[in-house]
Amino acid sequence: MIERIKVGMASCGIAAGASEVKEKISDVAPEENLVEVGCIGHCYAEPLVEIETEDGNYIYEEVEPEEEFIEKMLNLEEFSRFEAPSVRTEWEEDYVTELAGKIEPNSLPEYREHGGYDALEKALKMDPSGVVEEVKTSGLRGRGGGGFPTGMKWDFLSSKEEEEKVLICNADEGDPGAFMDRTLMESLPHQVLEGMLIGAHATGASELFIYCRAEYPLAVRRLNMAIDRIEAEGLNVLNGREINITVKEGAGAFVCGEETAMIHSLEGKRGNPRYRPPYPTDEGFKGRPTLINNVETFSNIPLILREGGESFASVGTENSTGTKLFALAGDLEYTGLVEVPMGISIHDVVYGIGGAEEGSVKAVQIGGPSGGCIPEEHFDTPVDYDSLNDLGAIMGSGGLIVISKGRCMVETARYFLDFTTEESCGKCTFCRVGTKRMLEKLERITGGEGTEKDVEDLEDLSHKIINGSLCGLGQTAPNPVLTTLDYFRDEYLNHVEEDYCPALECGALVEIYLDDETCIECGNCIDSCPVDAISDDFEIDDEACTRCNSCIEVCPVDAISRVKKGGKVDVQS
Amino acid sequence: MSRVNLTIDGETYQVEPGQTILKAAQKNGVEIPTLCYHGELSENTSCFVCVVKDAETGQWHPSCTSEIHDDMEIEAFTPEVKDMRKTALDLLLSEHSGDCEAPCTIACPAHANVEEYVRAGREGDFEKALEILKERIPFPMSIGRVCPRFCEKDCRRNVKDNEEAVAINDFKRLAADMHYDEYIEPREDLTGEKVAIVGSGPAGLGAAYFLRLSGIGSDVFEKREEPGGMLRYGIPNYRLPKDKLDEELNHFYETDGVEIHCNQELGSDIELSQLKEDYDAVIIAVGCWEPSSMRTEGEELAWGGIDYLEKLAKQDFEMEDPGETIVVGGGNTAMDCVRSTLRLTDEDVHCYYRRTEEQMPAEQIEIDEAREEGCNFEFLSQPKSLREEDGRLILECIKMELGEPDASGRRRPIPIEDSEFEVEADTVIAAIGQNTIPPDGVPTNDWDDVAVAEDSHLVEDNVFAAGDCVTGPATVVEAVAAARKAAENVVSFLNDEEFSESYQVNVTRGHWQSLSEDDLVYLEEPEDQRRVELPHRAPQERVEDFEEVSDTISPEGMKKEGERCFECSCTAKNDCGLRDHSEAYQADPEYFEGNEKLDFGYNNDHPEIIMDRGKCVKCGICIKMCREAVNEYLLGFMNRGYETYIDAAFSDTLPVDCDECGECIEACPVGALDWKHKELE
Repeated sequence: MIERIKVGMASCGIAAGASEVKEKISDVAPEENLVEVGCIGHCYAEPLVEIETEDGNYIYEEVEPEEEFIEKMLNLEEFSRFEAPSVRTEWEEDYVTELAGKIEPNSLPEYREHGGYDALEKALKMDPSGVVEEVKTSGLRGRGGGGFPTGMKWDFLSSKEEEEKVLICNADEGDPGAFMDRTLMESLPHQVLEGMLIGAHATGASELFIYCRAEYPLAVRRLNMAIDRIEAEGLNVLNGREINITVKEGAGAFVCGEETAMIHSLEGKRGNPRYRPPYPTDEGFKGRPTLINNVETFSNIPLILREGGESFASVGTENSTGTKLFALAGDLEYTGLVEVPMGISIHDVVYGIGGAEEGSVKAVQIGGPSGGCIPEEHFDTPVDYDSLNDLGAIMGSGGLIVISKGRCMVETARYFLDFTTEESCGKCTFCRVGTKRMLEKLERITGGEGTEKDVEDLEDLSHKIINGSLCGLGQTAPNPVLTTLDYFRDEYLNHVEEDYCPALECGALVEIYLDDETCIECGNCIDSCPVDAISDDFEIDDEACTRCNSCIEVCPVDAISRVKKGGKVDVQS
Repeated sequence: MSRVNLTIDGETYQVEPGQTILKAAQKNGVEIPTLCYHGELSENTSCFVCVVKDAETGQWHPSCTSEIHDDMEIEAFTPEVKDMRKTALDLLLSEHSGDCEAPCTIACPAHANVEEYVRAGREGDFEKALEILKERIPFPMSIGRVCPRFCEKDCRRNVKDNEEAVAINDFKRLAADMHYDEYIEPREDLTGEKVAIVGSGPAGLGAAYFLRLSGIGSDVFEKREEPGGMLRYGIPNYRLPKDKLDEELNHFYETDGVEIHCNQELGSDIELSQLKEDYDAVIIAVGCWEPSSMRTEGEELAWGGIDYLEKLAKQDFEMEDPGETIVVGGGNTAMDCVRSTLRLTDEDVHCYYRRTEEQMPAEQIEIDEAREEGCNFEFLSQPKSLREEDGRLILECIKMELGEPDASGRRRPIPIEDSEFEVEADTVIAAIGQNTIPPDGVPTNDWDDVAVAEDSHLVEDNVFAAGDCVTGPATVVEAVAAARKAAENVVSFLNDEEFSESYQVNVTRGHWQSLSEDDLVYLEEPEDQRRVELPHRAPQERVEDFEEVSDTISPEGMKKEGERCFECSCTAKNDCGLRDHSEAYQADPEYFEGNEKLDFGYNNDHPEIIMDRGKCVKCGICIKMCREAVNEYLLGFMNRGYETYIDAAFSDTLPVDCDECGECIEACPVGALDWKHKELE
């Protein structure tokens, strides 16, 4: 008998069509116990439905909102069943995300049933300094990208004598393609809040904010619902101290993920950063001592308190304990959210968990627009804060992009700089104007008009922007450029000296070549071309062609390929 | 409170703790440059021009905000820090949309303060206009008549449909005609040093003029009977009346310390070696007097253009009737020959040029007036040979067509096979160019011009050279510009100093041809106005004699013409932090080529104040000034990143509800917020 039907409805599921699926299930079987849960953990297979029965749980993948499909599913027929690939089960750790997709996000009883708020209860019986010690022992480091030891940060705040201290949860998650925090907030809002309440006890803070980007309305809704429940149950009164919790929505600026800019935004001012010192722990929100931690960091806290810091530290490496959530994207089989133990090699993430094709990967980009590229020869590097820093990259908040051989590193740098230029707040000359000038140079290079001076200037400007910026945005914006120049300088030089893009990605340096001898004149290409650039006698109009690859994809005999402009030297399909 | 140690570039100072690096440095006489810092307001920390480096940690800090600690060691003016500052300024300049100087002033080869003398004319103060002119132009009467008007070609008035440039040169002519005789330019007392100048044309006399301004006297040696060079013996009377020239040269006769000696030829009456010894320095300004060769058979049967004109001038513009005339060539000299012969004969006068009319180097007005006076133009025709037959000259020519562009960018003419034809005339004049006749013993370059070091005009030892003899044939104003540079170099040379042209930063919005009316910033919205007309004699009348063809425009006419000026230059050009620092650090507005500049529109609705947002450096001073000093909230930042700009609340017109205290304007480090009215200095 079916006990409960769970539909994975975090934003990833909804984007894949889970809302329609839930509606259809409700139409077909209105009597069943149907609930929304968070992320079930395998974004590449969404929409996912998990059916709980007395005999066990069955997960269905790529569920369609069709009556026939739903009926078959409710009959527990063996079709479209989801089996996690063995590589995933081998490498993944469901630790912070253990309950995600299992429980209803806003069910306080269900959370409690699985150990929720036990940690808070335990913490409230401890001395605040004891709680801080436990976090220090755990070795937890900030999951937002900085990697600063969390226990030490909490120590700074707790040592402040002031009465009115502030704790802020950074839920701005601005990195393009990163949704670790979104998943945690949508799937386990109570776990995040429990971590924050423990933090409030440990540091003596009385005012809690969650600064959540407005682009996450589902997360905001679920958090607010959770807060209402917490307040109704009195869970926010810690040993007699009432804690205020507020969700504040952002207004569309990546820069507000930066500490001081976020504080200004919370204060109702323009989200510009400021010089430090004074540091937020000394003078933060409205002049009060303030501490900011990331969503994932707070989500780890209940686990640390429940099982003890030492036990937590047994996972991962010596200096980077615990697990990390990553959002995998790019040229690989299993994209989406994964949780891995620190210390796993990049190789295993890419080829193991990600399922990328052996030999097809050129590099990975870790850390989003603030991060760097790591080439294949360094894939044996363990994923931990220090090893990545040594390579010139950063852990970042968890975005990891797999770059295949068919992708241009210069274009990758340009893509990230396009983002940071637009997100710069505009205060510092080097960031505001410097990133724009760098973007122009990268656009020229990928457009086939770059010069050697452009490449030299890019390097010079990069260092100056890093040195001449007030905040992390400017200080890290040049990283994609510097790391690609470091490891892939040849690609840049090929562009400017030979008008050649080795990956054959940059449209201005590439043309589409149709091999008459191989061509069987089926006409698929002509039909597929969105701009009618292929004539009836299979001539391609170079000026009209947008290099979209549609024709290449539909050719049954691989007669069409991208080649270097002006010469059929290299063939790449 | 006990003092702490602060070491700046190796020098240690005892300073009060709790200050910023900038303040502490300032109190000890070390001025770190800044744009966004204003002493009375809280820090903006945005421009980063004040950046310094911590010598111990290697970290970079904005000195306006970073506090000192005991035993702090910073680098403030090392090459690395200066380079960082230069880049900050390069970046700011690349974002800056504006015009420091007006395009007319930049275009003038002599760098006269063009916008300023036009302003003086607009206010009716032509005496002031002349004063400004004579800082750079010793021959305003002549140049006011013959200049090709580089300034007008760049005048932004051209942007308006159906409108022409402001008649800038006519301000010069009028100011000179009115006040040249009485005005004496300020000169330093004579030092006793003396320079020998060979040649009394615009370059030679120009050099004498500029040297005299600095107190250096000169002896000018002229090989011909009268001084003036090209002004007298090259340009015909109808363009530059010789009585006007004499009036202008009178000033030189009356200048103490300057003496002109005619009939003194270098190589026969005077020797260069002697001049080098007898004088503190020598300037060679002998011009270009050798007509270029046609390189055809029989060319000795033709006149050289410049020879013909010289003879004509020496004979007071009376000459035997040349009969039917063919002038070969397309430059101003050719036009001078054409128009002179038109005045001397009733027969036909033709002009043969090997390219097209568009490619003729002569000024369009000369070509038009020549055509009006009756010249027949034959384009794409090149002479091949010349012979005499039965008392007539037969010129064999070949037809040309235009091919690929050559090094100068002009399409090269190519002979069309088998298209030879013959024409007859009584006189043939070859006016295809002039060459320098370099004096004996003077080093020359590949073009047989006098060889000089580019910036210093130095030939060798104490000998300098300037003008056409260095550059090849050019204009009077260019000769005068070269004369000034040479003179300045001589002054430095005499003082045993290194002369260096001060580094100038000029940001420009671009040439008017790449702009539309909407791209310009107007202090006042200009009305549509026709350009003032130059009074001209009718062609049939003027071809009868060599009298002047045009007249000076009246002061009323010129005052009205002055209102057509857009006043393009920035109101803050002499009071701009960005310009000052950029010049000090040799920052380059062109360093980042292909850079996008955003204008955001300007606001000149207010009668007194202009808000020119393209010039804003986003320092934030105006916003804080209003908030912190004046306690209003009238200004704020809009958008972010490169698209940031300043706006008034609700995008209202500027200070409609403010007291116009002007605090923000005074505090603005550049010209983004400024008073509109430009004063005559």
